[in-house]
Amino acid sequence: MFKRSFTLVIALAILAGSLGLALAGDGNARKGKYLFRKNCRACHLENGKAKDLSPMDLTQAQWQKTFADPSKLACKDEFAKLSKDDLNDIMTYMVEGAKDSPTPAKCK
Amino acid sequence: MASKQFMVSRRGFLKLGVGAAATATAGGLLKARPAGAQGGLKPGFESKFTVCDMCFNKCSAIARVGDGVVRKLDPNPKFLKSRGMLCAKGNAGLHQLYDPNRLKYPLLRVGERGQGQFRRISWSEALDLAAAKMGAIAKEYTRCGMLFMAGADMQSTFVHRFAEAFGSYNVISHESNCLLSNNRAFLDTFGEVPIPDVLNSKYILMAGANRFESLVTPDSIDLMTTLREHGCKLVVLDPRYTKTAALANEYHAIRPGTDLALMLALMHVLINEGLYDKQFVAEKTYGLEQLRTHVQSYSPEWAAGQTDIPAEAIRRMARELAAAAPAAMVYPGRRSSDYANSTQIRRGFAMVNALLGNWDRPGGLTAARVVGLKGGIPLEAPFYEDNPPERVDSGQARLMFEEEGSFKLTRDAALKGEPYPIKGFFAYHVNPMQTGANRRKTIAMLNQMDFVMVMDVAMTDTAWMADLVLPSQTYLERLDPASAQQGSSACACVVQRDPVAPAMFEAQPVFFVVQELAKRLELGEHFDFTVEEFRAAQLADLPDAPQALAEDGVYYNPSRLYGVYEGKIYKTKSHKIELFNQRYAEAGLDPMPVYTAPAQPPAGQFRLVVGRNALITQSSSTSNALLLQMQPDNDLWIHPDSAARLGVKAGQRVAVTSPAGQQVLTARVTHETRPDTVYMHTGFGVMSRELAAYGRGGCIAAVLVDAVDEISGNMAMHETFVQVAAA
Repeated sequence: MFKRSFTLVIALAILAGSLGLALAGDGNARKGKYLFRKNCRACHLENGKAKDLSPMDLTQAQWQKTFADPSKLACKDEFAKLSKDDLNDIMTYMVEGAKDSPTPAKCK
Repeated sequence: MASKQFMVSRRGFLKLGVGAAATATAGGLLKARPAGAQGGLKPGFESKFTVCDMCFNKCSAIARVGDGVVRKLDPNPKFLKSRGMLCAKGNAGLHQLYDPNRLKYPLLRVGERGQGQFRRISWSEALDLAAAKMGAIAKEYTRCGMLFMAGADMQSTFVHRFAEAFGSYNVISHESNCLLSNNRAFLDTFGEVPIPDVLNSKYILMAGANRFESLVTPDSIDLMTTLREHGCKLVVLDPRYTKTAALANEYHAIRPGTDLALMLALMHVLINEGLYDKQFVAEKTYGLEQLRTHVQSYSPEWAAGQTDIPAEAIRRMARELAAAAPAAMVYPGRRSSDYANSTQIRRGFAMVNALLGNWDRPGGLTAARVVGLKGGIPLEAPFYEDNPPERVDSGQARLMFEEEGSFKLTRDAALKGEPYPIKGFFAYHVNPMQTGANRRKTIAMLNQMDFVMVMDVAMTDTAWMADLVLPSQTYLERLDPASAQQGSSACACVVQRDPVAPAMFEAQPVFFVVQELAKRLELGEHFDFTVEEFRAAQLADLPDAPQALAEDGVYYNPSRLYGVYEGKIYKTKSHKIELFNQRYAEAGLDPMPVYTAPAQPPAGQFRLVVGRNALITQSSSTSNALLLQMQPDNDLWIHPDSAARLGVKAGQRVAVTSPAGQQVLTARVTHETRPDTVYMHTGFGVMSRELAAYGRGGCIAAVLVDAVDEISGNMAMHETFVQVAAA
């Protein structure tokens, strides 16, 4: 047996080491999807206030970078409202379905 | 919306003058054809666009309708994806609508499972019962205790949506009994699943695909055009002499399970003779040097011993492919549920194309084009904290598609009750009793369920095993979401389906069912829209689409076809086309495909391969009255030498036996299969006595063993050895 995210854990451990990340990226991707829809899709939606966003829009490294330092984002205040666990779950969801992940995912 | 549809259906039912109380059985006592259907095409008929549903291709078609009765189906000459064609199955679609055996009312099982005893119940009783059963399963086994399965249908998206809102991760499609190995392989090489530009190709190597009988649009039509008009060369490799083989320039009866040996030998020649596209490979691929070392032992002479194809022919194929490249291809194919290493076999197909640069250029493999269709109305599904962490089939196939799942692994898990029980099943427009290898196990899985609900047009074998059977409208009666279609150089387009005839009896669309269930399960907010509203949201970015769809039955997006990847990264770990797959290496899989010779049938046995012809879409078409006339059953193709050894004569009944079971069918003694291989068409040997095909031929699922592709979780059907004996 192995975890679905077996390669991801290794990849994130390496990335986290090199970038000095606060988030481990070993969260619950399913919960991350739910939290992403609940918190981010209010604006990041087709015909929404902000650009429509899906995990497959960025690479794994780009998502890592986004979550490592959200201070430059327009929605940085929204990030600040979320707990570390919730952010970790959302990042896990985004990275697992990133453009260069084994199975790029679109958020429907 | 739902109540309106229900009323329309009721009115239509009454208007048709069908005696509502005439029968309460499932069977075909009622004459389904409405009054007036017997006449010819009268002047003044209407022409209405529809989208065919006789297979997965979704060809635009025109229904000729008079007095509310569909008289004839014609191709839509403006539909480029089918090149203005409607095939035999498409023409026969009328008989799905007016099939006297179609399901008419909700039915509740009253006898033992699988005995075919049902009673008619009302929709409200059916929906109340279903909601209560699903709620009880969720309470006792968590929401993941419900398994959902939906076929390639334009409303299947609503079943997936319902499953997600309900809270089960266990959703599977038909695809894990079909094409997932191929998708996995191309995704893990090119970062996406390509669409072949058949029309502009000059050399096509087709291994194990049968494009002139197993139709894929536009490939089947374009293949004929490019052979006849463009001087394309077609080389077919198949243990069976198919119609595609018959029309090929060159044919080899390859030993089953050895395609990878051929691909590795082609790569050996391309690399060692310097025939690969050096600039393309240097710029766009990852791992050439590892591959160069890897293929050294895989010479054409070695491959000849595996494949039964002469070394000189293999060498020549490599050179001819290279001469025609990049307007050349190893055709990707579709169904790849063949072997336990099918993903690696198909990686071989992908890698030959990568070496030749048959990618993103005319005549090679092309990327998906922009269609512009949106996802519809967004879903904000709840999160259920008490659910188990993963799908029931997780942790086995290394790179299973989360969105597709694995029928084989899910069934195994349900039978074991591990990692957790699966006690409810809702199947829509999918028939795993016929398409999932090892029918005994499917029966056992269904028998351990607390509740089985099946919605379909006809009483399929899966419906036959259900507790609750719901009658679905046919495609000709339905309002469906829009659908994006990819056709490489033919088109990137959108089609949508509007009803062309009033709904018959009490048939409903599955949207009605999930909307009503959602209301009863306090999930109504997730289905608080109409299909029209969903479609409008899908088309929001395509302002010209509604008019085009109304006038032409299709909307084309003139999006970029070639050079899509110029200046872009590939969706792989290396951001290049991966000859060497790093993720495979990390997962302990072979990063480049390693050949292992397939097991040979024990003495006196045969490898069983399955397929179909242009009259068959598995079991969904074999009971169609028109098609059944032309394809009345299936038989066992067996080579004359093998038949003589067994004392079997043409036309004699034979028992075909494997560890999975036994079927009896008629022997077709023919040179069109290898002496070590026997063949059956899909879709026959049905258990359901409500189907016209009952009592005809044998069922593939009853004799195929259920091996699995270890990477994708796809079923591996051709790992089956059978004994054949006079019955």
